[in-house]
Amino acid sequence: MDVTRQARSWLEGRHRWTIIAATVVGSALAVVGLFVQAGWLVAATGLTGVTGMAVGCVVGLAGIRGLLAGSTGIAGVARAVIDEAVRMRAALVLLVLLVLLIPTLPLVLDHDERLEYRVQFLLAWALGGTGLILSLLTIFLACGSICGDIESSRIHTTLAKPLHRWEYLAGKWLGIVLFDLLLVALAGAGTATFVRVLARTPATDQADRDAVDHQVLTARAAVAPTHDRPGEYEAAIAAAIRRLEEDDPDGFARNPEAARRRIRQEYDWQWHTVTPDMVSTFVFSGLVDAKVAPTVQLQLKPRVNNVDIDLADVRFAVWLNGRPWPMREGVHQDQTLPSLAVSVLALPTEFIDETGTLKITLANRNLVPAGETRPTAITLPPGDGLRLLYRTGGFEANLLRCLAVMWCKLALVAAAGVAAAAMLGFSTAVLLALVIYAYALGSGFLRDALGEYNVVGESFLVTVIERLRAAAGLGLEFRFYEAARMLLGFVTDVVLRVLPAFGDYDAVGSLATGIEVPGRAALACGAIIGLGYPLLLGVLGWLVFDRRDLVRPNT
Amino acid sequence: MNAAEGIDVKCVGVTKTFRDFWMRPRVRAVEAVDLEIRRGQIYGLLGPNGSGKSTTIKMLLGLLTPTSGRIAVLGRRPRDVAAKRHVGYLPEESYLYRFLSARETLDYYGRLFRMPRAVRAERTARLLEMVGLEAVEHRPVGEFSKGMQRRVGLAQALINDPQLLILDEPTSGMDPVAARQIKDLIADLGRRGKTVLLCTHQLSDVEDLCDRVAIMFGGRVRAEGTCDDLLVQEALTTIQTDALPEGVVTEIRGLLARHGIDHCDVTRPRRRMESLFLEIVERARVEGLQTSGARSGGRVADFLRGDPATAASVATGPGAVEEAEADTAAQGPAPAAGVDAGLIDSLTRRS
Repeated sequence: MDVTRQARSWLEGRHRWTIIAATVVGSALAVVGLFVQAGWLVAATGLTGVTGMAVGCVVGLAGIRGLLAGSTGIAGVARAVIDEAVRMRAALVLLVLLVLLIPTLPLVLDHDERLEYRVQFLLAWALGGTGLILSLLTIFLACGSICGDIESSRIHTTLAKPLHRWEYLAGKWLGIVLFDLLLVALAGAGTATFVRVLARTPATDQADRDAVDHQVLTARAAVAPTHDRPGEYEAAIAAAIRRLEEDDPDGFARNPEAARRRIRQEYDWQWHTVTPDMVSTFVFSGLVDAKVAPTVQLQLKPRVNNVDIDLADVRFAVWLNGRPWPMREGVHQDQTLPSLAVSVLALPTEFIDETGTLKITLANRNLVPAGETRPTAITLPPGDGLRLLYRTGGFEANLLRCLAVMWCKLALVAAAGVAAAAMLGFSTAVLLALVIYAYALGSGFLRDALGEYNVVGESFLVTVIERLRAAAGLGLEFRFYEAARMLLGFVTDVVLRVLPAFGDYDAVGSLATGIEVPGRAALACGAIIGLGYPLLLGVLGWLVFDRRDLVRPNT
Repeated sequence: MNAAEGIDVKCVGVTKTFRDFWMRPRVRAVEAVDLEIRRGQIYGLLGPNGSGKSTTIKMLLGLLTPTSGRIAVLGRRPRDVAAKRHVGYLPEESYLYRFLSARETLDYYGRLFRMPRAVRAERTARLLEMVGLEAVEHRPVGEFSKGMQRRVGLAQALINDPQLLILDEPTSGMDPVAARQIKDLIADLGRRGKTVLLCTHQLSDVEDLCDRVAIMFGGRVRAEGTCDDLLVQEALTTIQTDALPEGVVTEIRGLLARHGIDHCDVTRPRRRMESLFLEIVERARVEGLQTSGARSGGRVADFLRGDPATAASVATGPGAVEEAEADTAAQGPAPAAGVDAGLIDSLTRRS
């Protein structure tokens, strides 16, 4: 009887959660032991991961609660948010989803696939999924917490205390951001662990192993090429723009920015196309740091202009700073690569000159297709079609920067949720926060898709006047649809420029392809996305919240 | 007149109109209300549902902005956190975080007053003991009965030892023993110079406790004054003696008739149900019978009794200066230093 009473008092006492957690962890470890005995190592790994993340979550929560032990209003509100977060049903569902996602992802991978792709898949989906889940969790938590306080009138008791309204909002934001920090850290630790476990499994071949070690689980700086005669190149582009302006002044005046961009894209495309009758030279500079390693990586994604050609038959010759490469027994060897696939050539750094410059010259050695008289041109599309990569650091440090960028984005999402909840009811606040998040997420795509309307030039005011005049002209000609379309496009463009763009900081994409997330970019993201926009949104939310009546009439 | 001159709450011509989404006036909840509550008064705000009591209270707390009129609380604007440091508020419902335990709840609100940890812990323990919840202090508030939640609500309202205590239906949902205890506490606080604004439907509470009363209806103050002013019937006289034999009663009636007084009711006074109930419970307690759940509250927390020894013993942390200030305020002179002179001037001019 006494034992039962004692057990009950423990369960109702301050250590109830410690007892429950210890029981759950003990049971999980016992099951893991059974799995190991039975030889189900994959299931054992998965369950260990889930348990580890859950334990990390509990320990981290205790750490954050300790961090917020200070006697300030903001810390008090933030701590209450943390307590609320782990008890909110929607948050709990997303939290469980997160804890299950990362350990179970390796189980769904196709084991016949190349290890390189499996590791990339795990990285992209684990961190991409984490970003999405945490963004939704953040929005629901921010809106649920503040709107819940208002709707349940709890806020009356809180704001009757000596707490400024801005402190209340800042406390909510801080609590959510710290909760996100914990979950981002957990997801990062889980991802790093499972990626390393996966990377230890056998690769398809040596090339696959090299790709995993040197192209995925690494951090590489990417250098884009410049033209070998930049003056002539720029002059040619300027001349082409002038010609277009003279030939079609009305068309050009409608959207000069878009016309200039189109001409440049055409020239860049031509420059990246290696025709059979001429060689193309690409200059990569700033490679002094790259010389410490024996090789740098030349990434190519060649495509041929004839779709009928054999996909494996893209052949070309390479000169490095004017010297043929590679040489075998005194003979200059051609390179053969599959088209439309990413290939990497390891170039010796001894070819890089003292100023850190490497000029790469390519000559087309394609075979002549049947029925043709000359070989097909090879295009290396600007962007990821041709770039030079060299190792700058390790995977774990890159992962840390990637997680920092993710956290900054979540700080913005939290601010959007807090600001929306400070102004609106729960459902409309969630909707508004989701719209801001969706805009931030899809801003890159939207900018490209609406590029036709991208008319904001150097002078915003002049552009506004030009646009209004052009729209009025269309209206006078009774072309109302076109006038409305033009104005709508302009407004969209301005909105897109004002709203934050997550696409500018695609850290997960970089990490999964072994590209360095530069520290400078992470800092910029922290300053703009993590602090600037949240501050702006916070001030907007506070301006409304400070004037808002937090009581509804009873009648 | 300001807080230094003994007025803790002053409203002049306060009106509140709620507007809809399109900013059209929807409900005029409070209209041209004037209130003046002096230091140490227990002031009753009475009125039926929808009469504007809660709206008035929420304007005093800075949760609502008046559409017109001016308000001073402890000589400052209601939104001023310097004033809120000395205000305690018990809302009409228990607006608490259901997932926090009773102890965590008090710790949370203590934190909002920037109290050092040691002071918070000390006061939390004393208050939990006072409201009889120390045995269930680790249970989430959401699992509590309404009465137990009210006790937590009362404890959080007292955590800062407020100079001005605003209580909205403090005895709602409580058993008569707890209700009596709260009434005793309110009377005790009043004796210590604390100001209490009591908003209630329990007319007996008001009669027992309040120095002054305002009765609201339709958003306006319809009557205001001391309980005696409002309740004493000048046209009647009551004489209370030991029980009289029938013959004496007849003689008295005859005497009154000779003085031209025809109306004379002779009745046996009844005890109040509250005192009977409390007597029975006290007898049962002496006999050692126990109830489950919250027990009856303990003694009033030391810091609320103005015990200088306790105040000195807790005011040792980093926030000791602030605490000492709060305690000083509680014991006598108003927190008058730093009152908003402009606001006071404008109120004085208006009144």
